[in-house]
Amino acid sequence: MRILIVEDDLEAADAMERGLSEGGHACQRAADGEAGLAAARDGGFDVLIVDRMMPRMDGVTLVETLRREGDQTPVLFLSALGEVNDRVTGLKAGGDDYLVKPYAFSELIARVEALARRRETGSVQTLLRVGDLEMDLIGRTVHRQGKEIDLQPREFQLLEFMMRHAGQSVTRTMLLEKVWEYHFDPQTNVIDVHISRLRAKIDKGFDRPMLQTVRGAGYRLDA
Amino acid sequence: MRLPRIFRTTPFRLTLLFLALFAAAAFAFLAYIYVATAGEATRRTDQEITREMRSLAAAYDRAGLDALNQSLIERAASERPFLYLLMTPSGARISGSIAASPVEDFTGPPAWTSFSVTEAGAQGRSVKRPARGLQERMRGGEILFVGADVGEDEAYVLKVVRALWGAGALVVVLGLSGGVLVSRNVSRSMAGLVAVVEAVRNGDLGARARVRGARDEFDELAAGLNEMLDRLERSMAGHRHAGDAIAHDLRSPLTRLRARLEAALLDVEAGKSDPTEALAQAVNDTDGVLKTFGAVLAIARLQAAGAAPSQAPFDPAGLARDIAELYEPLCEDKGVEFRAELSPDLTVRGNREFLAQALANILDNAVKYTPAGGAIMLRVRRRSSGEVEFSVTDTGPGVPQADRARVVERFVRLENSRNEPGAGLGLSLVAAVAEAHDGRLDLDEGPGKVGEMGPGLRVALILPRAA
Repeated sequence: MRILIVEDDLEAADAMERGLSEGGHACQRAADGEAGLAAARDGGFDVLIVDRMMPRMDGVTLVETLRREGDQTPVLFLSALGEVNDRVTGLKAGGDDYLVKPYAFSELIARVEALARRRETGSVQTLLRVGDLEMDLIGRTVHRQGKEIDLQPREFQLLEFMMRHAGQSVTRTMLLEKVWEYHFDPQTNVIDVHISRLRAKIDKGFDRPMLQTVRGAGYRLDA
Repeated sequence: MRLPRIFRTTPFRLTLLFLALFAAAAFAFLAYIYVATAGEATRRTDQEITREMRSLAAAYDRAGLDALNQSLIERAASERPFLYLLMTPSGARISGSIAASPVEDFTGPPAWTSFSVTEAGAQGRSVKRPARGLQERMRGGEILFVGADVGEDEAYVLKVVRALWGAGALVVVLGLSGGVLVSRNVSRSMAGLVAVVEAVRNGDLGARARVRGARDEFDELAAGLNEMLDRLERSMAGHRHAGDAIAHDLRSPLTRLRARLEAALLDVEAGKSDPTEALAQAVNDTDGVLKTFGAVLAIARLQAAGAAPSQAPFDPAGLARDIAELYEPLCEDKGVEFRAELSPDLTVRGNREFLAQALANILDNAVKYTPAGGAIMLRVRRRSSGEVEFSVTDTGPGVPQADRARVVERFVRLENSRNEPGAGLGLSLVAAVAEAHDGRLDLDEGPGKVGEMGPGLRVALILPRAA
């Protein structure tokens, strides 16, 4: 995957580049908004990581410009501004996801991969399939090895998200944001409880567990 | 050189401007009076002289030089105030009441002249009096001069001029002192305000202007200034408080983290432990610090902002349902019974995200402190006052009455809960959210002591009636 990092904090950009490169991604860097815009216009990136506050051109302007020019490359905003309003501004400008600094590295990687994946499977699907697990999005049913699994609405949403990001780590914060649409961290890990219930339903009684816990990161659904 | 303060004030400058305009008007007025009075006197004298000259010239034309001479003699003997001089064509005196003509050029056309006559005054002193006259050549070549003593006129004009000067001086003095008075008055009114601004600039945010109760624009300005300073002071206090709180709330966890890292470093150096584990622990600790930081920042921002941003009306039962759904499995896993009673058809106005977080924090606490076998009840209802109340009642150990106010403060955790995870900021954030919505947080006893359970805690987040 080719990733453009537009970040004026060189140390943070270094760390990001190293981490993403280790994950097998090719990174290019730009240290200010204008350079970032020029690099993004050259194209060929799967994901853009854009800091909101930068010299010469802020991230929001950069992304707005790109979107106006018809560039639909997924954008992950990084920002120290974490208020709801700031988030809304970022997403309205055309950002696809918003990560508040400071962030866990696993969180960044998980979100970047989720964004890239979303682009690959951009079209409207009616059936999701991961290994022997099948989800009918219209009939709202889930089957594993032909056996129907009964899920609560929220469990269905949770599994849908995991299936759409099968093979990738997703963090608890991502789940809370994307499935529950909350942007705060509960003190207790409520998400773990929901995952373990889901796990009980889709893995119990089958030979091979699909829903994995990724240490220090979150969860992953494997085929 | 600097002018005294009073001369630099705006009212005084305005006064000077008005004074200048006033003086110009007064000058025009006085000039008119001068022309109308002094000018008129001179004109009348000139007319009389001209008439006398005409009548004498007519006598000469009618009856010749002798008749003229005769008339001059007769007139000089009368009480008429005119001065006469009849001269030959070459300028030699023939007769008249003055010795020599004040007009030197005998050949020119008729000419007016001003001169002075010497008169024997009282006590033998000679007095010079101003006079004015006209000299004309008669048809036969003789020269006739007719003049008049204008001493009375001049004296009158002089009086008028003196009066005018006096009036002008009075205008300036009155205007100037009026200006000084007005500007002193205004300056005194301004001085209070200026002093307040000065004090604030020097860092005394507590300074306030005096409102004199005159209900004029100075009072308005003073009241406005005071209100502005009140707000500024509140906001500054909020920021200062937030800064102190952040420093306090973060220093201790960071100190702990540092100590743990140091200990781990020593252990690793001594070969006693695996660095991976120590690093993983450090990352975990850092996450804890960041979580605390996030909570502190959220509280500080809410407190500094005064009101929660982006408030909109929404259904509180819907919010409670969502949060309940998030926490219900947690209760079930822990063996705690969870129930919810949510009144439908209510509307509150607020920031849904903040209120969701507040409710989540309350439930978080309840789940944390309620032992297995206990129960948690989430309720949304309208109070008789019209306020909307979110409440969570648990059957945990509760909080003694004396400690209830304290647990809401930042970072306070009661002795018996030291081992539980959590930054201790949960209820502080709830309180900040409540305040940011003009609401409040109430802590009360739960359902009471039942066997091992209780007495429990009832936490209520009360929002004002939606307008």
